[in-house]
Amino acid sequence: MGPALVTLAMGTLLGYLAQRSRFCLIGGLRDFILVRDTELLKGALALFITAWVAFSVAGVFGLVDFQSPKLQETVQEEGRAATISTPVPRPAARGPVASTDLARQITWTNWPIWALTAVAGIALGLFSTLANGCPTRQHVLAAQGIQDSVFYLIGFYLGVIVFYLITKPLLALFM
Amino acid sequence: MRKRIAHLRPSAVTYGVVAGLLAVSVQALFNVKPPPAYGICMACHPRDMVNWLLNHLTGSHWEIAPVSATVPLLTTVGLLIGASIAARRAREYRWLSLGKRARSFLFGLLVMNAALIVTGCPTRLLLLSAYGEVMALVGVAGLVIGILCGTWLLKKGLVS
Repeated sequence: MGPALVTLAMGTLLGYLAQRSRFCLIGGLRDFILVRDTELLKGALALFITAWVAFSVAGVFGLVDFQSPKLQETVQEEGRAATISTPVPRPAARGPVASTDLARQITWTNWPIWALTAVAGIALGLFSTLANGCPTRQHVLAAQGIQDSVFYLIGFYLGVIVFYLITKPLLALFM
Repeated sequence: MRKRIAHLRPSAVTYGVVAGLLAVSVQALFNVKPPPAYGICMACHPRDMVNWLLNHLTGSHWEIAPVSATVPLLTTVGLLIGASIAARRAREYRWLSLGKRARSFLFGLLVMNAALIVTGCPTRLLLLSAYGEVMALVGVAGLVIGILCGTWLLKKGLVS
């Protein structure tokens, strides 16, 4: 319950600020190229730098544990670990490791993962630009009463179901 | 006086700093983890919400981030509330159509699918990069290329 309420409060504050400042990550680069307006681009840089510094400070005080992010990987690895006598040598470390280690490290052997990440990143940027804003901006516009953004959000939330019913099984065929 | 506050325009840098600080502090102080760098995500939090609802309604077992297992994170709901408060206070609320509803719907669908493959919306990609994940940097590089392509298409007038 706690995290949900905390994020609800955080979202409200961020929504207020985002509406007032017209913040958009996609719009930053787009506006810079089209009209040489650096306002939004500075916002994106500020977000990155602040998060970088804050993560480092929090890490120094031991508030953030720098482990390799595992959302899907853990499940898969646990599953593989369950089947004993696999000839594949499993990565030994399980404890705190640098986030650049192990599963998400970029090597020649896991090229399908990072190639897919790059392609999906390109698709994300392209479609977001053509849709006129990043997801954050679209939420703000929908709250502002732009009907197109409301339709965007309907597609956005239906996209979750499409992803798990179609896209993910399709990707699993190739990977 | 109150009216003047409603019309204040904080810069995008203000939003960036506040968002960065909040995203890190909810993870560090309020236990919004695992997965890490999950403070703000406009794609994963809706994912958790939709899948949580589906799981509770139909008894399925679709993927949910561990934080959202009991109650899903409500960032997007908060964002909608906050933005509509701001829009109404500044009298910027307009119920209007730009005439691209079907297109927007399609792009919403595509963006969500792409975002779930790269494990996050642009904001979370930046957060993950700041956290030190290499794969997120690949995603950011792709994102930049994608934006360049999209802007080129807009500039050439190939897409309106």
